[in-house]
Amino acid sequence: MFLTRSEYDRGVNTFSPEGRLFQVEYAIEAIKLGTTAIGIRTGEGALLAVEKRITSPLLVADSIEKILEIDGHVACAMSGLTADSRTMIEHARVEALNHTFSYQEPIPVESVTQAVCDLALRFGEGADGQESTMSRPFGVALLIAGVDERGPQLYHTDPSGTFLRYEAKAIGAGSEGAQSALQEQYHRDISLADAEVLALKVLKQVMEEKLSNTNVQLAKVTKEAGYQIYTTDELQAVISRM
Amino acid sequence: MDPVTLELPHTLQRPGHAVAQEPMTRPAGPIVTGTSVVAFKYRDGIIMAADCLASYGSLARFRSENRLFKVNETTLLGAAGDMGDFQYMKHKLEDVMTHEYDMDDGQRLGTKSVYKCLSNIMYGRRTAINPLWNAYVVGGVDGGERVLGYVDLYGTTYTADAVATGFGKQIAIPMLRRRVEGRADEISEEEAVAILDDCMRVLFYRDCRALNKLRRAKVTAQGVEISEPYSLETNWTYAESIVGYGA
Amino acid sequence: MRTATAVAAPIEAHGHNHWSPYVDNGGTTLAIAGEDYVLVASDTRQSDGYAINSRYEPKAFVLSNNAVLGTSGCVADAKRLCEVLEQRAQLYQHKHDRQISTPALARLLSNTMYNRRMLPYYVFPVLAGLDSEGRGAAYAYDAIGSMERVTNSCFGSAETLIQPFLDNQVARNNQRGADPERLLTRQEALKIAIDAFTSATERDIYTGDYLEIFIIDAAGVHKETRELKHD
Repeated sequence: MFLTRSEYDRGVNTFSPEGRLFQVEYAIEAIKLGTTAIGIRTGEGALLAVEKRITSPLLVADSIEKILEIDGHVACAMSGLTADSRTMIEHARVEALNHTFSYQEPIPVESVTQAVCDLALRFGEGADGQESTMSRPFGVALLIAGVDERGPQLYHTDPSGTFLRYEAKAIGAGSEGAQSALQEQYHRDISLADAEVLALKVLKQVMEEKLSNTNVQLAKVTKEAGYQIYTTDELQAVISRM
Repeated sequence: MDPVTLELPHTLQRPGHAVAQEPMTRPAGPIVTGTSVVAFKYRDGIIMAADCLASYGSLARFRSENRLFKVNETTLLGAAGDMGDFQYMKHKLEDVMTHEYDMDDGQRLGTKSVYKCLSNIMYGRRTAINPLWNAYVVGGVDGGERVLGYVDLYGTTYTADAVATGFGKQIAIPMLRRRVEGRADEISEEEAVAILDDCMRVLFYRDCRALNKLRRAKVTAQGVEISEPYSLETNWTYAESIVGYGA
Repeated sequence: MRTATAVAAPIEAHGHNHWSPYVDNGGTTLAIAGEDYVLVASDTRQSDGYAINSRYEPKAFVLSNNAVLGTSGCVADAKRLCEVLEQRAQLYQHKHDRQISTPALARLLSNTMYNRRMLPYYVFPVLAGLDSEGRGAAYAYDAIGSMERVTNSCFGSAETLIQPFLDNQVARNNQRGADPERLLTRQEALKIAIDAFTSATERDIYTGDYLEIFIIDAAGVHKETRELKHD
């Protein structure tokens, strides 16, 4: 892609003659610098797993949060420029709460995902009278996991505002290796317990550091209990099953 | 209620008040008014009548006002209440029709659409607490179907075989209930005219704001036809037998 | 009952400067919820003071998600409220790619009405449909959107005649040895709705002409129209 780079990558609102928006493509590239995050959908619930880069022994590992709750039945994991996810998650949470206020029911998972993606292309100068929140595209990709009456679901969103539904998806630096590992080992009727092990195994493959109960984070969304993040003990229990 | 108070110029004083001492608040209510509109369905379409009087309070101020308006080829509008508001509405509907014509797409607004448009305007104005002080009767033939509807300053809407406004609701409707309701399909044009004239005659007898100079209109598959003003034959001889009348 | 000012009445009649934007057009609506169905019944008379505007002007409306909105009060407001609600139900369908559920629509109606707190819709609606378990659900509201799920409710000009009857016959209040939890069967509900309206028509001048009965169940909405007295 860089071969055709020209002046057309300077403005966020200018297509190249080949019909590309370079800044958006670069933003997608930025995700490949982020830590790996994995999502797996099972019949019992959807699972999210992320790696944390503990760059210094003095770093408090708990302060790295890459899985966040959007609503009681939706959570998301992120990779890339994680600070950018603040705006998106804030928006998603407001949408979810507004839906509950308006209709007294949880928002469908796809609708939250759509709401987040609606933000993605609101960058640049904005049309007349329309506020844009960002001067550039978001540099973050999300894995959104949730449960509604359609059952457990997993969505992937990227900086272009595209979202797609997956059975299992990996994003971030190790995504290529992780995705092919998932492709090999995922099967449609995998149990949640097996998915926990699979997620950590795949993560372990692509992580530079040795996987431990402090440098990964695991969360699940089930119909029965909604969003739950794993405690260190629960995480350790999964690790010992690997 | 809008808190704004305003003095009307002396030319617009409310009739019945010799001097305009009393400050007025908006909405002021009607100034120059038309009385009943009467309409009903008959075999070939809709027939409607309204007299030519626009009153200024109890003063019979304008005696050749036309209160029947052809909105388009298939739609007729009759107005009671404030004549100024009616003229405003005519302009507004003309704008809508002009816009439709400008579209040049071969589409015409049917009677139901005109009725809905009118109702939305009336409801919008009442919700803004600035009503158009009218009661309208909309009649037409829409895709072979007869449409007869009512809308007033509250945005109240209904359709029926026989519709009348104001005093006509008290006087004409009971007559039409007997002669029209349930047999609209059997009524010939000749009979329809007879029924309508009877209603207008009784209204002229009993309504102090009515005039024996009226127009009649019909909407059929052939279009809208509004008559020239005409008068009804009346008989006041019975009045002589009323104690206290005349001699 | 408030009556509308006659539009073309002599101006002298409007000696006062205060104009109310509301009219009560009379009429009555009731709802009875059962185990797997819900019934809504409304008369079709529309009045303006002592005048009958129309003998057939329905005030219960079937919405696109197979819920029925029964109204009473000011028809101008009722019709607009119904249009707004239907529009929002459609928007929900487009946005979330599924039909809005009756409980969700119930909350939406409450919000829609409360949003007009400063110039309320002068409407007392009952919303009836099935809940997510397939049970009959009826929701009753006041004019500013206060909402309650009920097994029976009656609003409108014959409310004071019919509601006590429903309290006794549907909720079984003041019946010795009766089970207040037992929900009515369809036949029972239908019979009570018909009796309620036939009797109310005798005493309330604003209720009459025709009775429209909607029964909503898993199969959809079933409507039947019956005659009431025209006097």
